[in-house]
Amino acid sequence: MATAAAQRAMLVGPRAMLAAIAAGAVAVLALWWHSTLSIAGFGGWLTGAGEILGLLAGYGFVILVLLMARIRPIERGVGADRLARWHAMGGRYVISVVSGHALLIIWGYAVTAHTNPASETATLLTTYPDVLMATVAWFLLLGVALVSARAVRRTMSYETWYYLHFYTYLAIALAFSHQFADGAAFTASLVARFWWSALYLLVGALVIWYRVVVPARDFAHHQLRVAGVRHEAPRTVSIYIKGRYLKELAAEPGQFFRWRFLTRGLWWQSHPYSLSAMPSDELMRITVQNAGDHSGAIARLAPGTRVLAEGPFGAFTPVRTGRSVLLLAGGVGITPLRAMFAALSGKVTLIYRASTWQDIVFQSELDAIAEARGATVHYVVGSRQDLGADPLSATALRRLAPGLHRMDVYLCGPPGMTGSAVAALTEAGVPRRRIHYESFEF
Amino acid sequence: MRRAILAVIATVAGLLALLSFKTHSSERTTASVQPAPSLPKGERAVTGNVANTAYGPVQVQLVVKTITAAGGKSQAGTILKVNILEQPSATQEDTQIGQYAFPKLIAETLTAQSARIDAVSGATYTSGGYLKSLQSALDNGA
Amino acid sequence: MLREPMTLGTAVTARVRHAEPVMGTVVSFDVPVTARHDGSLDAAVRWLHWVDRVFSPYQADSDVSLLARAEVTVDGCVPEMTEVLAACAFVRDLSGGYFTASPGGQFDPSGYVKGWAVERAAALLARAGSADHLVNGGGDVQCAGGRGPGAGGMSTAPWRIGIADPLRPGRLALVVEARDRAVATSGTAERGAHILDPHTGSPAAGLASLTVTGPSLALADAYATAAVAMGPARARDWTASLDGYEAYAITDTGDTWQTPGFASHISAD
Repeated sequence: MATAAAQRAMLVGPRAMLAAIAAGAVAVLALWWHSTLSIAGFGGWLTGAGEILGLLAGYGFVILVLLMARIRPIERGVGADRLARWHAMGGRYVISVVSGHALLIIWGYAVTAHTNPASETATLLTTYPDVLMATVAWFLLLGVALVSARAVRRTMSYETWYYLHFYTYLAIALAFSHQFADGAAFTASLVARFWWSALYLLVGALVIWYRVVVPARDFAHHQLRVAGVRHEAPRTVSIYIKGRYLKELAAEPGQFFRWRFLTRGLWWQSHPYSLSAMPSDELMRITVQNAGDHSGAIARLAPGTRVLAEGPFGAFTPVRTGRSVLLLAGGVGITPLRAMFAALSGKVTLIYRASTWQDIVFQSELDAIAEARGATVHYVVGSRQDLGADPLSATALRRLAPGLHRMDVYLCGPPGMTGSAVAALTEAGVPRRRIHYESFEF
Repeated sequence: MRRAILAVIATVAGLLALLSFKTHSSERTTASVQPAPSLPKGERAVTGNVANTAYGPVQVQLVVKTITAAGGKSQAGTILKVNILEQPSATQEDTQIGQYAFPKLIAETLTAQSARIDAVSGATYTSGGYLKSLQSALDNGA
Repeated sequence: MLREPMTLGTAVTARVRHAEPVMGTVVSFDVPVTARHDGSLDAAVRWLHWVDRVFSPYQADSDVSLLARAEVTVDGCVPEMTEVLAACAFVRDLSGGYFTASPGGQFDPSGYVKGWAVERAAALLARAGSADHLVNGGGDVQCAGGRGPGAGGMSTAPWRIGIADPLRPGRLALVVEARDRAVATSGTAERGAHILDPHTGSPAAGLASLTVTGPSLALADAYATAAVAMGPARARDWTASLDGYEAYAITDTGDTWQTPGFASHISAD
C-alpha cells in the first residue's frame, strides 16, 4: 500500500477533474462534427440537435458512473462529498439531456419523413434496431430521477433509494447498443465504435476494481472485526475495530471509511463514519451518534463481528501550511476533528459546540491531548437561549481564537451549524479558501 | 435553480452554435460540377435546381425525347438519360456515395415507373453481361 | 453508408445480398441475414456449383457431356438426372416438341436445368426457415414470401421484379409483383438468336423476349424457352393454355401482348 506522501502525489484535484471531463465533452462534440456531412432543413436541425444531445448523454452517463466509482486518487483529491454533489447535479443535467435527445430525434425524423410525431414514434420503436430497449432505459432513468428528487427521497429509507438507484446500470446496459445501431456517428466509423466501447469498458473495469475487487482484497488482508463497543454519551458510542496491517491503509486524520457490519440486520447497509482516532497497526475507532434504527443496532454490535470497510475516503484532511489551525466542531462533528486534534502539529485551537454537557464526548481525551501539546480547547455548551447571543458569531470566534483571520479552519458539524459558521468565519476575516469542511448534503 | 437555468441556456446556445457552423461549413463544400453534354435533335435537357441534400448540393439534369404533339407543340417525352451536373465530392464518403448511389439512382429513374425493384428478369446474361446490368446495380447498391 | 435516417430501411429488415458467378452467369440472392449465419446461403451456393459440375455441357467430364457422348447410361449418372430427363420429356410433350433437351441434336438440358437449380436453391433457403427470399439465376427469378415489412404495417410487400426491355438495354419494360412465385424470361436480348426452332433447326424469330410467371421456376423457364422457339403466332395461344402460368411477350418490333391472367401481376404503381 502506498504511503500517505506517495498517495498525495497521485491525487486528482477538482480543477483537474473538471478539465478532464470538459476535454472529453469537447472530443464528443468533435466526433459529431466529424461524422456529420451537412444539415438539410428544419428536420435536419432537429435531428442534428438530437444527435448532439444523444452523444453528450452517452458520454455523461459514463462520467456519472466514473464519479461514483470510488477511484482512490479521485476520491482523495476531489473529496467524497464534492463527488456526490457533482454526481447529483450532473445526474439531473444528463437525464434532461437524454430526454431532450429522445424528443428531438422523434420530432426531427417526423419532420424529415413528413409524418406526425406519433406515427414516427411507432416507427422508431418497432423498426429501428434496439430503440425499444433504449426507450425502456429512458423510462428507467426518469423513474430513478423521480425517486431521487429530495421530496421523494425523504419518504424512503436510504437503503431503498440506494438500491433503486442501481437501476441506472441496467438502463445504461439497455441503451448502449442503440448508440451503435442507430447513431450516425457510430454506424459508419469503426474507429468511433472502438474508442466509445473502450471508454465504457474502462469505466466498467474501474468500477469493478474499486468497488468490488479492492474492498474484497482489503477484507481478506486486514481481517477487521469488532473488538468492542463503548458508550461515550447517552446517544453516542465508539466502536473499536481490530485487524492487522492497518497502517497500510494510510488513513489520514479527518478521513472516513464506508463500514459494513456483517451481522443480521446490518450487512446490507453501508455507512460512512469518520475515524475518531488515528489507527494503530491493529486497532481503529469510529464514533457514532444514535440517529435512527441502524445507529441503535450498531450500539449492540457483538465483539467478533466481521467488518467490511471501504476506504479511506475523504478530502477533509489537514493540509500542512505552517499556519495555526482552528478546529470547530459541532455535535457529532467532533469525531473527525478529534483525530485531527491528536495528529496535528503546530498551534491548534479546538472549539467544541454542544447543546448539553451530556453530549460532550472524549472530554478527558481532549483535555489530555490539549495539555500534552499545549493546545487550547473551548467547550461552548448550552442552547442559544441559555447563552443569550449566537455563541459562534464572528465576534465570539475572534475572542476564542485570537488571530483567527490568519488561521486554517477545519469545520465539522450539522448542516445548519456549518452554514452559519462559514458565514461567521468569513465575517471574521478568514478567506474562503482557508475554511475547510465536508458537506454531505445533496 | 439558477444553475439549472444557466445550464439550459448554455446547452441551447451551444447546440445552435454547433448546428449553424455545420450548416455554413457544408454549404461551402466544393462540389464537382460536370459540364452538360450537347444534345442531338429531338432531345431536350431539363435541368433541376440545385438541391441541398444530406450529402451536400446535388443537381440533376434529365435528357428527354421531345414529342411533337398535335398542333405542333413539343412536349417532353420519355426520359432518355440522367446527367448528374453537381454532386458532393468533398470527402471520400461523398465520392463513394456518388459511385454507388448515383448509378442506382439513374437506374431507378429510368424504370417505367420510378419505384424500387428487387430484381431484374430478362434473357440470361453472361457473367460479363451481369456487370453492366441493372441487377448488378441492385446487388451492389443496397 | 447512408446517413439520412429514413433510408435506414435496408439495415432494418436485416437482409443480405449475395452475387455468385456460376453456371456461366451470376446468381443473385436476397436473403434474411439469418441465412448467412445458419449456413443455408452457403448450402444454396454449393448446390449451384454442384449442378454446374454435373450438368454443364461445357465441361467434358460432366454427367451431361458423358451422357451426350453416350459414355454412360442414365443409371450411371446422378439420381437427379432421371428427374431432369422426365421433366424435359413432360415439357417437350406439352409444347408439341418445341422444348427439347437435345437442341440441335446434342443433349443439353440447360433450358430446364438452370431454372430447376435456382428453384431448388430457393427451396434450400426455405427449408432452413427463411420465409422471404429471392434468388435470381441470371434473369430467372424464384421468390418466396415478400420483400420485408410493408409500408405502415408488419405484413410483407410482394417482391418487385423489373422485366428488362430487350430493345433498350438498361431500361425496364414492366414491373411485376411476385409473392411465392417464379418469373422467367427467355429471349434474344443477351445472347442473340440462341434459341432454335427444333422442327426447322433455324433460329427462332419474332419474339425479342417472353416472360412466364408461375409457381415453379423450372417449368416457367422451360415454358418461356419453348414459347420463344415456337414463335409469336403459336406462343400466344399456347401460353394461354398453360394451367397456372401466365406470359408477357415483347416482339421484335416492340409490340407487346400478354395472357389474360398476366395483368393481375403487373405492379400498379
